[in-house]
Amino acid sequence: MTATEWARISNDAFNVALFAYLAAMVAYFAYLAFRRTSIWTVARTLAFVGLAANIVSVVARGLAADRVPWGNMYEYSSLLALLVVAGYLLIVEGYYGIRTLGGFALMFAVFTMAIAVSFLYVGPGPLVPALNSYWIKIHVVAAISGSSLLALGSIATILYLIQDRVERRRTAALAARDPAPIMGGSIDLDVPPDFAPDADEPATPASGDRRGRLPSAATLDRVAYRVYAFAFPIWTFAVIAGAIWAQEAWGRYWGWDPKETWSFITWVIFAGYLHARATSGWKGRRAAVIAMVGFVALLITYYAVNLWIVGLHSYAK
Amino acid sequence: MAASSPPPTLSQSLALVWRTLRSMRTALILLLLLALASVAGSLVPQSPNSPARVLAYRQDHPLAGALYQRLGLFDVFGTWWFALITTLLFVSLVACLVPRTRALLRAVGQRPVQAREIDAFPQYRERRVSSAPGDAIVASERILRRRFFRVARDPDRPALAAEKGILREGGSLLFHWAFILVLIGVIYGKGTGFSGRAVIVEGDTWVDAAANYDGQIRAGRFFDGRFTGIGVRLIDFEDRYERTGQPMDFVSRVELLDADGEPIRREDIRVNHPAGIEGLRLYQYGFGWAPVVVVRRDGGPIASEPIVFVQDEAPEGVPQLAMPWRGVLKLPSLDPQVGIELELWPDSRAFVQMLETGEPVAMTSAFQPLIRYAVWSGRLTDPSPLSLDTTNMTREATGIVGADQVVALEDGAVVDDPAAAGGLTIGFPELRKYTVLQVSRDAGVPFVLLAAILILLGLLPALYGSRRKVWVRAEPDGEGSVLKVGGFALQRKARFEEEFPRLVDALARAAGEAPAPQEERVGIR
Ligand code: HEM
Repeated sequence: MTATEWARISNDAFNVALFAYLAAMVAYFAYLAFRRTSIWTVARTLAFVGLAANIVSVVARGLAADRVPWGNMYEYSSLLALLVVAGYLLIVEGYYGIRTLGGFALMFAVFTMAIAVSFLYVGPGPLVPALNSYWIKIHVVAAISGSSLLALGSIATILYLIQDRVERRRTAALAARDPAPIMGGSIDLDVPPDFAPDADEPATPASGDRRGRLPSAATLDRVAYRVYAFAFPIWTFAVIAGAIWAQEAWGRYWGWDPKETWSFITWVIFAGYLHARATSGWKGRRAAVIAMVGFVALLITYYAVNLWIVGLHSYAK
Repeated sequence: MAASSPPPTLSQSLALVWRTLRSMRTALILLLLLALASVAGSLVPQSPNSPARVLAYRQDHPLAGALYQRLGLFDVFGTWWFALITTLLFVSLVACLVPRTRALLRAVGQRPVQAREIDAFPQYRERRVSSAPGDAIVASERILRRRFFRVARDPDRPALAAEKGILREGGSLLFHWAFILVLIGVIYGKGTGFSGRAVIVEGDTWVDAAANYDGQIRAGRFFDGRFTGIGVRLIDFEDRYERTGQPMDFVSRVELLDADGEPIRREDIRVNHPAGIEGLRLYQYGFGWAPVVVVRRDGGPIASEPIVFVQDEAPEGVPQLAMPWRGVLKLPSLDPQVGIELELWPDSRAFVQMLETGEPVAMTSAFQPLIRYAVWSGRLTDPSPLSLDTTNMTREATGIVGADQVVALEDGAVVDDPAAAGGLTIGFPELRKYTVLQVSRDAGVPFVLLAAILILLGLLPALYGSRRKVWVRAEPDGEGSVLKVGGFALQRKARFEEEFPRLVDALARAAGEAPAPQEERVGIR
């Protein structure tokens, strides 16, 4: 097949993926609302269809351009959506058995792809020489994998903040009632606080999914931590690989150009988050807020720097 | 503080500062401050990166600009307060690491401690096995050691204590110490290093010496001022483009020469493929056209050299490659002095198109190049080789000279035999290219790279490891014995809950699992 044909296939598959993700997002939210397993089956199937189309789109793009398919913002976005959805399906749903976060993960993917196709589209083509390096391929893969995981973690953190609030209200309401109910409360009374598992362990699937209800705040917090802890070394590696590339391309491994600065900021904030988890008085909500700030920094690193702040990296548009 | 209490002594105050620096909260706040300072550095243009934008900003916003200047916001990463945050963070880091490292070393030296009541641990199981107690413990020790536990036998009875996962704390410490190595590498490398630019025309040789750098050399504080004297001869420079005008490749083919001018080897320097020699690294940085322009007076050449031409930045919407190239030729020996402004069109078709339709055309390669010139006479005041200050000069003539042509400056007429021509003539016998190489020395790079590797190596066990402790005791029971196993994990308890029964199975198997009926007590705590 010719490059043009591959390019068309890539674009068509991209659109299929976007619409499948959109439908899957709606279905996942419907599942959250109505808690029917049949809806979940539909949502999951749609998400897998979208994922398959997304993979086809990325591969065809690579064949059309005759290089690795991560050379500009449009391609990064497609890959980012792919990894977020795959990460959700494999890690959150597959490993932790939590089914209720799908709508949020897919919403992220839909936004990423919609922004990509509306504002960032460029046709497939070869890379400018500065981007034609072994290290940048590694750097970009690590950066996108790290970003997608940080994004997934942030989804869990957002829901943690919501759920934590709900649970506090409920506890407060229960405490106000007299006498305290032994049974019938819908909060987690089955785990005595002294024996609550450590913050850094994976939630067991059984306690994670209460069919359609959001997982408990403690579970969401734990999942978020595990995902961040998984993402952090990858992000660290991405920054290091970027520095090695910068050394090869421009003769300095670090120059505080805006992209470098913002990836450093993101990294430092998540290091702060990891510290907060180990600091008494900073666990829980405060740590979650730091992670949210980190997520905003990630979005700025990803979008704002390329689109609005100029630097050496801006030719990667 | 109550008025009556005595003021703290110096050592008390120092102890307080030290304790504050050691606290996790301080580390956290310093990290967040570092992030905040960096945000400022990315939002305000930085003079080391983009001096032109800083100037523009200061012109557009005089008030804010002056304020930012005072606060150092145009060079955040070079200000005293950024250095202060970094220094505090590193002092805090050392303050944290010293006691943690000591504790770790102590823990490594210590043997695992025996437990008295092992059935009180969160994980606990009993198994009947066929071996005698002593043999069962020997077998257990073998299994545990194979799984990288550190094992200590109880001298008084058939029992042992085992633990593993020191790697977690060790990894965390390695990770944190590695930042000190980053700091050392950065300070050493930047302090003793330098970077500058070399402009080399095809066929010429550039020698590494202070005077031969183009513009300023950025040198570190401890730079010893010594240059290697090595030479770089540019054989040729090639730039290739797509049909769309997108660049594909830039290559400087060079020959490296030692300080005596003897050739060492040839290299192709590309973007992303620097060359290295004697601690220097040579990077492809830029390129341009360097036409050879010959000026004769009454037939005798008074200037015949390649002149480095530069381009103005293209206005919005015009491809950079469509811009003509500018150069200046100065003839200070004439009276009155003469300066010639030159404008090169490497592809004359683009020039024609420009005249006819005004449409810019990208010039990706040379095709019948031509030079437009304007001759000025008067006094040469501008010292820059790239510009001509014409305020005190009068324009004498303008014209065009094509490749391989010679024209008389006075009337622009083509001259057939320049050696015989009277007055001033200008010729354009050759079009060459030049390359701009960035030359830098940074001896800290290996240290920083090593530190980066250590950071990653330390981070993995620090984030994913966990400390686990296991105790085994064997008590006689009929022919064989009862194996009692207890344990707990300091982190990642859920995973240990899955790992523990498998471990007990392995221990029981090694000690000869007794046939059924199996009695098992599962401790859930
Ligand atoms: C250079 C700045 C620093 C960075 C980038 C950094 C980063 C990190 C990261 C990513 C972790 C999680 C991995 C692990 O558990 O080892 C961590 C843990 C830790 N850091 Fe730092 N850190 C820095 C400075 C400090 C300082 C100044 C202290 C002293 C208070 C400190 C104390 C700790 C401790 C005690 C842990 C272990 C927490 C736990 O038990 O999980 N760090 N650090």
